[in-house]
Amino acid sequence: MLVKRILIVGGGTAGWMTAAALAHKLGSTPVEIRLIESAEVGTVGVGEATVPHIRHYNATLGFDEAEFMARTQGTFKLGIEFVNWGRIGDSYIHPFGAFGGDIGGVPFHHQWLRMRQRGPVPDFEAFSLPVQAARRGRFRHPGTDPASPLNSYNYAYQFDAGLYARFLREYAEARGVQRKEGKVVDAALEGESGFVRSVTLENGEKLKADLFVDCSGFRGLLIEQALKTGYEEWTHWLPCDRAIALPCANEERIAPFTRATAQKSGWVWKIPLQHRCGNGHVYSSGFLSDEDALETLLGAIAAPPMAEPNRLRFVTGKRRRQWVGNVVAIGLSSGFLEPLESTSIHLIQLAIGRLLDLFPTQAWDPLDAEEFNRLMAFEYERVRDFIILHYHATQRDDSDFWNHCRTMRLPDSLEYKMALFRERGVVVNYRDGMFLEPSWLAVYLGQRVLPRHADPLAEKVAEDQVLAAMAAMTARNIAMADGFPTHEAALAELAAAAAA
Amino acid sequence: MGHIRDIVIAGGGVAGWMSALALANARAGERVTLVETGGPDHSLGPFGPAEATLPEFAAFLIANGIDEDALMRAARGSFSLGGAFSGWAGEGVTWFLPHGETGAPIGPVAFHHLAARLRAGRREVRLADFSLAAVAAQSGRFARPSADRRSPLSALGYGLHLDRAGFAALLRDRALAAGVAAHPAPLRAVRLAGDGSIAAIETGPGEVAGDLFLDCTGPGALLIGGALGVGFDGWSQWLPCDRAIEWSNAAEGVPPPYAHSGAFDAGWRRMLPLARGQGEALVYSSAHLDDAAASAAFGGAAPVPVAFGRRASFWRRNCVAIGAAAALFDPLHGTALQLVHSALRRLIALFPHAADGPEGAEFDRIQLAEADRARDFLILHYKTNGRKGDPMWDAARAMAVPDPLQYKLDLYASRGRLPVYDEELFDRPEWIAVLDGQGVRQRRYDALADAIPEPALMQHFGRLREVILQAAKQLPGHGAALAAAGVRA
Repeated sequence: MLVKRILIVGGGTAGWMTAAALAHKLGSTPVEIRLIESAEVGTVGVGEATVPHIRHYNATLGFDEAEFMARTQGTFKLGIEFVNWGRIGDSYIHPFGAFGGDIGGVPFHHQWLRMRQRGPVPDFEAFSLPVQAARRGRFRHPGTDPASPLNSYNYAYQFDAGLYARFLREYAEARGVQRKEGKVVDAALEGESGFVRSVTLENGEKLKADLFVDCSGFRGLLIEQALKTGYEEWTHWLPCDRAIALPCANEERIAPFTRATAQKSGWVWKIPLQHRCGNGHVYSSGFLSDEDALETLLGAIAAPPMAEPNRLRFVTGKRRRQWVGNVVAIGLSSGFLEPLESTSIHLIQLAIGRLLDLFPTQAWDPLDAEEFNRLMAFEYERVRDFIILHYHATQRDDSDFWNHCRTMRLPDSLEYKMALFRERGVVVNYRDGMFLEPSWLAVYLGQRVLPRHADPLAEKVAEDQVLAAMAAMTARNIAMADGFPTHEAALAELAAAAAA
Repeated sequence: MGHIRDIVIAGGGVAGWMSALALANARAGERVTLVETGGPDHSLGPFGPAEATLPEFAAFLIANGIDEDALMRAARGSFSLGGAFSGWAGEGVTWFLPHGETGAPIGPVAFHHLAARLRAGRREVRLADFSLAAVAAQSGRFARPSADRRSPLSALGYGLHLDRAGFAALLRDRALAAGVAAHPAPLRAVRLAGDGSIAAIETGPGEVAGDLFLDCTGPGALLIGGALGVGFDGWSQWLPCDRAIEWSNAAEGVPPPYAHSGAFDAGWRRMLPLARGQGEALVYSSAHLDDAAASAAFGGAAPVPVAFGRRASFWRRNCVAIGAAAALFDPLHGTALQLVHSALRRLIALFPHAADGPEGAEFDRIQLAEADRARDFLILHYKTNGRKGDPMWDAARAMAVPDPLQYKLDLYASRGRLPVYDEELFDRPEWIAVLDGQGVRQRRYDALADAIPEPALMQHFGRLREVILQAAKQLPGHGAALAAAGVRA
């Protein structure tokens, strides 16, 4: 028998994504889903940029893209531009798609590395169609013909997370999720099992449930405050612990990508939406004062601010266990990784998927939690390593912050990956883990981590043959990208579809 | 150590010549020499005289330009839709491990959960009844799968059964044509360089020097074990058999399109049908069956001692072990051959700039894990056996198994969930087929299965079965399929 009553503690992106997905998947069962949230407690909602997996979530729930985009002020995202990371003045785009194609059975990047050692070659990004489109401010939906380069990339969205939560709330409430306004002040534990039996609201009301999903944000009302699960800090690798968010008006053109510009002691995000542009400065309080951080942000944004600065504090790391007893932590209550690679919403989505896969029954087999925790730990650690790479792979020595990041000791799991790439251009691949070879290549090469040797077997293809293949690829990418509609035109077309 | 110019492969046989051919095709000017040491081909272990491939092996053939029909003609090849396992779940009980897909999900609910729900309602369900490969195998029919996902034939998968000697001969011809130098000579000694790496293989009056050496000498592991002293980790606490006898059987008529593995009180017997004749192997525990008795009962050939296990490392200094020199597997399924394929793919992807570079450690990380996970899959067959009253099998049921396997067993028993780790040769469908066939039942099933009305569920199963029976009826007989491939008249 399934558990009967689910209480989601906290709304926001995590809470309403969970509610909507559970309502969709469990709609045919007698499970009762409630969500408690308080208008007094603010939501963080800075995770406005996503990765392509969000499309799968939306499709599963049956959302129409045009309606979703209209409701959330959404824009298309072909990747993330990283500015000033390897060195000041550098720029590269991490797209959702592969670079080039195999030449003579040898992975493309090896042929590129090999030719690069012999003479000038086009930038690595010339071999990515979505990067070429992004640089031109153009967008087109990927195609389905496996033979076409249009099939070689994917895309995500940038949207207003607050509006997305509202959109999801409507969906969830229409499918029977009961929303309750209130502030949780206490939780009652059962002595023997340590399970949470009920939560108490400010007005004294008690809410009982079988399964609690903690979407209460950084505080972790249940997973931490009630259950004292403990937190694994990663601040020695990722020293940023503050952020200031500050929206401003859009520029004339709306970029189909997110931008992350490295600063002296952190980085500034720029996420263009339809109606405004999200900005923020992620920085380390150990290296930068709050006043200087705001000044940096004000200097980095292109238009006057549209709101008061929203200041956030966080500790990078992961809850030691994300499912304890009958409490599952989803969202910021489960851990925090800065939004450098737009992974926050993705980690929420993963946790929801795994909770559904391992949905508990009234027998409460502890293996369900163990497997959930094993899988989520994997994902967190692999995302963590990929983010650390951005900080570590730099030649910047213009601040104490970068000196620290450049010289810090890495997790063994990352040290090993980088050593292999530096020596021989090998990207370590895993079965699980969201960032695949093209992502690692984009960051390594974009941040000047260049292998000493290419694959020696690349030599089997004659140089002129490689050069000809490379020239054909770059010419084709340019021609195709030039033919894409502008991002604004693509958005207008979608808006017309939504209005129809 | 400098750039690699000379690759030297020690030992011929299937593993040696597969390596030679793959490297010859992938190389960028390096010379490839194979020192053929002669003797019986135990490069994959002493379990011939036939070998089984898994469906993934097709990628090796394509990558190396080998036409499947040509291979089958050279090696008396026969198609395989999977394997029948008799006596494992109990005396007189048979189950089938099909290649390809079994059943179909309803929405997000996996097929085995649907089956579990029906069983909870006391209905009998045999998973293999919902596998086209299993049904076709039973009725002696075969066709290659369809690439059209809408066709029921797209659910088919298949492997091959090949005569080992014919297979090796074809690989040898192709490798020689691709420029591999064959050096038929005994392996007298291995000469080490000052830094402890291998300098040359001494073959009598002469020697063959090289920069990178592949040890394809079989379980003896003359290079990596003998010369470089890499240790061996045995698996006898989990895989109880320690003897093998191989022989040929002149079976007549159209061969069945599947392998048969029959368990008996002291081990098991493998039958791999070929287009003409049948390769047989007996794998048993000498503690439970007398060698003389075994030999007398099975073809008269001398039993060969075998030790299942693997080297502590597959790549040491400038030497890479491939095949049985790296790991010897209980020959259930086509594990050995598939791991050679995987090792070669990895060796080519990680081909080192210098033989003692960091690539070896990455090769080891992946290949050792893959070998251990494949080992777990083999142990599964023993751990979950149902032969009550046979001392060898009783002990196997009671044994403690490696943690990753125990975790899988626990999760499956709890809720039919099967974690798949990073480097797994066998994927979920294979694991589920074995667990289910052996009679392991999940305590809970996906609760969403309960939301499906029973008539809809019955209709789903009925329709699947109907589609499979219809599709199977239209398949040609195995004999006709072999004739079309040019293997049988």
